[in-house]
Amino acid sequence: MSNRNQLVRDNFINFVRSENLPKSSISLSPGDVGLTDSEVVDLFESQVMSRHLDLQSRIMQKKGESFYTIGSSGHEGNAAYAKAFKPTDMAFLHYRSGAFVIQRSKQVAGQTPLYDMLLSFAASKDDPTSGGRHKVLGSKALSIPPQTSTIASHLPKAMGAAYSIPLAKRLALEGKIPENGIIVCNFGDASSNHSTTQGALNSTAWAAYQSIRMPIVYICEDNGIGISTSTPDGWIAANYKNRAGLNYLYCDGLNLLDTYRKAKQAEKMARQQGKPVFLHMRTVRILGHAGSDAEFVYRKESEIEATEFQDPLLHSARILLENNILSAHEIISIYESTERRIARVAEQAASTSKLDNAEQVKHSIVPPRAALNLVSKYYKIKNESDRATLFAHEKHNLHKKQHMAKLLNWALIDVMAENKNMVMCGEDIATKGGVYNVTSKLCERFGKNRVINTLLDEQSILGLAIGMAHNGFLPVPEIQFLAYVHNAEDQIRGEAATLPFFSNGQFSNPMVIRIAGLAYQKGFGGHFHNDNSFAVFRDIPGLILACPSNGADAVEMMRTSVKLAREQQRLVVFLEPIALYMAKDLHSEGDGLWMSEYVTPSEDATATNSADHGQKISVYGEGKSLCILSYGNGYYLSRKAEKILAQQGIECRVIDLRWLAPLDEKGILEQAKLCENVLIVDECRQTGSISEALFTLLAESEVTRNKVKISRITAHDSFIPLGSAAYHVLPSTEQIVEEALLLVKKKPKTAVNKSQTEAETKIGNT
Amino acid sequence: MAQVKQKQRVVVICPGRGTYNKEDLGYLHRLHPDKMDIVESIDAYRKEKRQVSIQSLDTAEQFNMRSHTAGENASALIYACAISDFQSINEDEYEVVAVTGNSMGWYIALAAAGALNRQSAIELINTMGSMMTDGVIGGQMIYPIMDEFWVPDQQALDATEQALVDVNEIEDCEAYVSIKLGGYVVFGGNKKGLKALEKALPKVQDRYPMNLFNHAAFHTPLLNETSAKAKSILPSTLFTAPNVPLIDGLGQIWQPYSCNAQELYDYTLGTQVVETYDFTKAVEVAIKEFAPDKLIVLGPGATLGGAVAQSLIQHNWLGLQNKKGFISLQKADPFILAMGLEDQRKMVI
Repeated sequence: MSNRNQLVRDNFINFVRSENLPKSSISLSPGDVGLTDSEVVDLFESQVMSRHLDLQSRIMQKKGESFYTIGSSGHEGNAAYAKAFKPTDMAFLHYRSGAFVIQRSKQVAGQTPLYDMLLSFAASKDDPTSGGRHKVLGSKALSIPPQTSTIASHLPKAMGAAYSIPLAKRLALEGKIPENGIIVCNFGDASSNHSTTQGALNSTAWAAYQSIRMPIVYICEDNGIGISTSTPDGWIAANYKNRAGLNYLYCDGLNLLDTYRKAKQAEKMARQQGKPVFLHMRTVRILGHAGSDAEFVYRKESEIEATEFQDPLLHSARILLENNILSAHEIISIYESTERRIARVAEQAASTSKLDNAEQVKHSIVPPRAALNLVSKYYKIKNESDRATLFAHEKHNLHKKQHMAKLLNWALIDVMAENKNMVMCGEDIATKGGVYNVTSKLCERFGKNRVINTLLDEQSILGLAIGMAHNGFLPVPEIQFLAYVHNAEDQIRGEAATLPFFSNGQFSNPMVIRIAGLAYQKGFGGHFHNDNSFAVFRDIPGLILACPSNGADAVEMMRTSVKLAREQQRLVVFLEPIALYMAKDLHSEGDGLWMSEYVTPSEDATATNSADHGQKISVYGEGKSLCILSYGNGYYLSRKAEKILAQQGIECRVIDLRWLAPLDEKGILEQAKLCENVLIVDECRQTGSISEALFTLLAESEVTRNKVKISRITAHDSFIPLGSAAYHVLPSTEQIVEEALLLVKKKPKTAVNKSQTEAETKIGNT
Repeated sequence: MAQVKQKQRVVVICPGRGTYNKEDLGYLHRLHPDKMDIVESIDAYRKEKRQVSIQSLDTAEQFNMRSHTAGENASALIYACAISDFQSINEDEYEVVAVTGNSMGWYIALAAAGALNRQSAIELINTMGSMMTDGVIGGQMIYPIMDEFWVPDQQALDATEQALVDVNEIEDCEAYVSIKLGGYVVFGGNKKGLKALEKALPKVQDRYPMNLFNHAAFHTPLLNETSAKAKSILPSTLFTAPNVPLIDGLGQIWQPYSCNAQELYDYTLGTQVVETYDFTKAVEVAIKEFAPDKLIVLGPGATLGGAVAQSLIQHNWLGLQNKKGFISLQKADPFILAMGLEDQRKMVI
């Protein structure tokens, strides 16, 4: 143990023995706050356990047995508020919550928090929460979804989970969180400055301000410093005391009795009145930010000592002595026997196996299939008479060919009707029906509880969805434009996608995230409505990315996506090419070739019977001269090109990738192998677009060994400008034709990329 | 300066009913002639209640199934043996860091941990043991959920769960999980329920399902009245906080300084009497939360050692996977020290 750790450890004993303890202006007795003497001792024991776990983790780290020593020292007052809540109140916790977890574990029989947490420190395969993937505070039995190094990124989902509790009641659904449950969510003073915190609190308050029930207690554990940067004196109180819609309470987290009392008040407000509470709790930070943090570099020793003297454990010792609950000797006895016990448990935990190979590590990237009873709980295929009512407004159109926006809208009506727990949320999706009418009539049919108009904050939209999914909903959030997802991507990347991984598959947040995106649209110009980069989704392990190019596929793929979420608990991003929403014709005006008739759910065998849920490419044409690989708008342009090429005697087959992550690699290679040439048409940027993955896939396969020639056309590494200038940086039909001709007739010897050189000229010529 | 010898940290496990058998006759007199004061104080209490002395039971020439296994006799007899064993543990070698027990062994654990003083212990144990003198309520039946090699058998476990569901749907049939006992499930139920369960469960290892003679449907709702009666007879003032941590049949830990004696009383005469006793969980909590160097199983008998070992296997504790591994471990450096076995007893006292 380093000097500071040893000092803190010894100080407790020395100060208690000499009864030299920090004073408090709060004079409460256990009875004043509704606690018995033994309950106060019990809380103190949780605090002591948490402290010794911190100290032990540092001893383990020195021995190479522990890898992450961020701890809870100084924050052990969270044991007191843990006691104020029920163990079924879902808790989203930051990393200084050791005492909370220990205290809550006492509310559920048969828990083994010391061993479990030490397994987590040791990255043991036996760690019951993450299975050795991370030091996390979490537990399925204790309703604590695991978080890792959260910088407030857990707040939006906490907000969403809170919203979902009364929502379940309004919709007469049985959530995973009890009907009278509330959400507990803590974070530090430094991370309260994060935009994610601001967004989540704002959304909470925005809802509460409109008298929507938001049963949540946010607890800001204010230790006055974030790593080395001090929080200005009074900042948290000044910032949150008078926020519309939020109810501010303050407690001294160094004092168990005051903390318990205020937490009980907060709990009551949230549970009984459905009001969100911001509980501001004073704490101190002891032992630095983490084990590696040399606090003396930025803090004076006298300051460090003064902080250490405010140790909550010393305050608790004072309370125990002042109220004649324990003697100094007994207090020290608890402290020392706990230390010995934890040291022994740590030895045992450190000796357990670690994850040995990549397969074991990756095992929980994809969550397990949902239990059959849960799959069918809220799912029922609607009969035709029910459907006739649902589609009454469209009865004259149902058998006519429609464009993608309309077909998607109908598919959504069907899936909403079939899945009682499906809830959609997004900006302007309710009465307006979305910017492109894809959600038209849904609010009218299913009510505003299932088609929710959100405020303008993508982090909150995704957080709402993640939180709802934690409570058993099947959320389908909408991000209005692809460019808007980037400010909120961490909610997908860092939160939703990692949940099964860090919980060893015990928690999941299945959903289908609808995003309107990609370029070529004529109505709304400019980059932010034409963003052509989804690279952000391509490297997220476990995420499924769907991108239909036409209405018929959109219907089938939407059904499959919902099914993947429902049955396999998957996280699906459904990317809808805006420019093709209303596309009707392919080759010439009025040909109607880009429209389809609506296939009803009962007619759709692919979605219901296919074992692999149809996550396959589609193939148009049987040509062997050229295989064009594309998706979205690129596929549409390639289909135009295919006709022109056929007229010139080049027989093509055109592949629509449809599922962009994971790629149907087998299907792609099977088709590529049949052809002499392969042309990749990617409407996204040269750098980071999926063309790179396709090229690599082909290069690494036997396709190239068979001397198949490969080329690609991509968009430029540029943002999308306004008006017709957009077409200068995007692939065109003409460009595809020219490149195909070049590839087929000239047969270049090596694979080349044309986007930056020849393509530029060709676009200029069109 | 002489180095202070590091004591081995042990969790003590107290045995339940059915552990004093033919081969244990004379246990007290043979192994504990120095602790006759315990026996005498128990017998003084029993004399007042006009019950046969445990001294005479222990010294009987022959083991009598009916009298030696009857609750009103077996409980006190086993308690006397176990608490005497507990007092024989070498305190210079071993530090008792927690105490637990199986079923009736919970009462002994309370006594060993100091939550009941000697007088309170015999009052509680004798009273609870005598609850069935007017007729045993229901019965118990034991069934394995591990194979003969002590490897968990998921199919057997599923079969028990399904059988329970099926049996409880039959009119007038009641059956519950009474004890989770390592590699076994002990069912408790009414006669009809157990009979139906016996029929529903596949016969395994030539012996199971096996009815436990003279046992009532402990740890099931059939004992609701017994629980109420016990609370009316026995005052909560019998209980104090323990001196060492206690692990109960739900896997809860009762710490010396934070234990609420009233809650301990409520658990002991309420929850514990009418709800499943999860001994497997108690062992799990003992090993994980205290990481003891050894587990000491008090006598009489050593049958509980098997259930403890099976619980260890379920958690791969010390890398244990099956019976063979356990036997090797015990031969090399025993982790479980059963005081009912002579060789191991020697290592404890």
